[in-house]
Amino acid sequence: MPRRLPLASVGAGVLALALAACGGGTGSDNAGGGSSAGTPAAGASSAGGSAKPTTIKLVAAEYSKDHTAAFWNDFATAYKAKTGNTLDVQVVSWDAIDQTSSTMIQNNNAPDILNLNVYASYAKDGLLYSADDVLSPDVKSDILPAFVKSGTFDGKMYGFPDLSSARAFFYNKDLFTKAGISAPPKTWDEFEADAKKIQALGSGTIGYAMPLGPEEAQGEFSIWAFNNGGDWKSDGKWTINSPANVETLTFMKKLATVDKVTQNNPAKTNRADAFNLFKSGKVGMIVGFSPLAADLDKDGKVNYGVAPMPTKSGEPQTFGVTDYLMAFKKSGNQDAVKAFYDLYYQKDQINTFIKAEGFLPVTTSGLQVFGSDPKLKVYLDTLPNVHLTPTDDPTWDKVKLAVQQNIGAGITGNPKSVLDQLQKTAENGG
Amino acid sequence: MPQHDPSSPAAVTAPTVTAGGGALTLEPAGAPRRRRRYTGTRTSPLQALLWLGPALALIVGVVIFPAYELVRAAFSRYSITGLRLGGAGGRNFDQVLHHPELGTVLLNTLVWVVSVVALTVLISLALAQFLTKDFAGRRFVRYAIIVPWAASLVITAKTFVLVYDYYYGTLNLVLTKLHVISTPIDFLGSDSWIMPSMVLVGVFVSIPFTAFVFVAGLNAIPHDVYEAARMDGASSWQVYRSVTLPLLRPALLVASVLNIIYVFNSFPIIWTLNDRNPGFGHDTTITFMYKLAFKSAEKDVGMSAAAGVFNVLLILVVVMAYLKVTSWREETA
Repeated sequence: MPRRLPLASVGAGVLALALAACGGGTGSDNAGGGSSAGTPAAGASSAGGSAKPTTIKLVAAEYSKDHTAAFWNDFATAYKAKTGNTLDVQVVSWDAIDQTSSTMIQNNNAPDILNLNVYASYAKDGLLYSADDVLSPDVKSDILPAFVKSGTFDGKMYGFPDLSSARAFFYNKDLFTKAGISAPPKTWDEFEADAKKIQALGSGTIGYAMPLGPEEAQGEFSIWAFNNGGDWKSDGKWTINSPANVETLTFMKKLATVDKVTQNNPAKTNRADAFNLFKSGKVGMIVGFSPLAADLDKDGKVNYGVAPMPTKSGEPQTFGVTDYLMAFKKSGNQDAVKAFYDLYYQKDQINTFIKAEGFLPVTTSGLQVFGSDPKLKVYLDTLPNVHLTPTDDPTWDKVKLAVQQNIGAGITGNPKSVLDQLQKTAENGG
Repeated sequence: MPQHDPSSPAAVTAPTVTAGGGALTLEPAGAPRRRRRYTGTRTSPLQALLWLGPALALIVGVVIFPAYELVRAAFSRYSITGLRLGGAGGRNFDQVLHHPELGTVLLNTLVWVVSVVALTVLISLALAQFLTKDFAGRRFVRYAIIVPWAASLVITAKTFVLVYDYYYGTLNLVLTKLHVISTPIDFLGSDSWIMPSMVLVGVFVSIPFTAFVFVAGLNAIPHDVYEAARMDGASSWQVYRSVTLPLLRPALLVASVLNIIYVFNSFPIIWTLNDRNPGFGHDTTITFMYKLAFKSAEKDVGMSAAAGVFNVLLILVVVMAYLKVTSWREETA
């Protein structure tokens, strides 16, 4: 693969030349006029000016084949009409986006805006604009506090949420009826009993689909851990091998190996495969999110219900995920970047995007827009108190990868030693 | 797999051209005559450069520059974001050599390359024999064998993911229906099945190229040698061992060397079939390198580049050793 990197860098070099040429053009322009109010760092904005149009590049993650590119292309048109600037859109699949962004930065050719599920390492490397530089005060105040907190590194906000999702407990109503279960389980004990009943139906029926494969293992474990009073970090310290977490992973191991109520080989099942099993109607319970619901509605095959997660400790916790749009500091792009965010966080832009992709809002005004949809109520109610992974810690960027690669080993091996090892990784700074 | 590295065949077959003394001895005789004819309008080195320019630019851009970048990256320290933080000295190489999974990865690579190449060559030998015989529908069979070669490796690999799937896979379905097995086999998730499953796909996609190299090799063997052998009363097995195989040796060498390089460098099959397996338990050096850069907890471009340098050296050494053992030059000179 590295063979390909330098090749990309050749292309990147050409692009850099082209961009440099653009920059030269704008630099000669009169920088004084038309600059929007409250823009700090005059050094950066003077190079770009705003009288003469700039081109900025967006690298966006592909949430869906149908909607992502369509939205951003429309957005680029609106952006051009409003600001005169050009937005160069590149949509990249989630599989490849780490590679794309890393290669771009490696070749000194970062995009202006990058859409990713982490940001803290980038902020730590000093590559990003903070909210003070590029976010209007009324845009920032509209973002839900939970996401402001998760986007804040070292006292400043660098990770601007593009959308969010909240995980919820999905169950197959038909299988529940068949197994004689009247309501979704509220506690882990009820959950375990229900899973056994469903598994006992036979003919390939699966009690609970548990994806602990590398695709999204940190998500699956988070939900269970949070509902046992556990967490990745608490009070600024890593608590990956806390007693609550060890108990959680031990319980998950029991489900898979003693009760045998999960699908085959949960440690090596990716989330997409688990979703497919649930969509086929073979699975009693699974942790899903709104895009799964959208798929299920489209297929119309599975009669499903959505409920809060079964919990072992008091109130059910909702696990939330948000992705980020971050902005790279480059000379001359500040005004254009700021204009990008001003437009993106307009109610009709951001919420159109989120609605099309089937996710959840990140702003207070978005909550009102989505509140009218009864189907989303179960998620929206929990959104302001949603429990996130510690994305504000750059170490998490590596811990996440280590968790994805290793936590499944807790199902086949010893849960405590797997978590001890992850704790050590985290304490060593990833 | 062959379609992935078009530069390799040239690199490997080149020695046959220069080593075949004829071309070399002709040169001195031809050169003066040419020079005499063009004394008036001698091309200056600058003009020559102009003509060579495009080719040189291509070589510099596609071979030399990337190689330089790879080595530079291997000696650099990178942040997880891809930002170059400075020089690293030999630290990246050191880390690769001390990686706890390196032994597993090397062993996987050995098993993968040896089994895929050996099986491919054996099966292709048989297939080539079959394909050179005259029979009804031979053209059809030949096309059928070429198809896996024409399909993209990622598509082939994805198709096999569906074939191997635990719940919906056709292979499990067929085996269960035939009562060969009572419960499905986890071809892709089980630690003992995943490597054989990948090897099967590797062999499947390598056969077309190899078989056709052998078909060409068999067609090049003159008929009179066979007639002579048969007249001396050799059995068919004796003919095959003492006539066909020795005369097929150049084709065998070319096919083996190219396959070793292709299979060693093969990324899509292992990447696609192994994607659900965490860690490095079933990775070869190529996917190991990729994971180091982008997917594993290391996420270190420098370390991955160092692994890349090792990869290039490793395949060079392996191919040289192979050629040495099979005494390539003597045979083809």
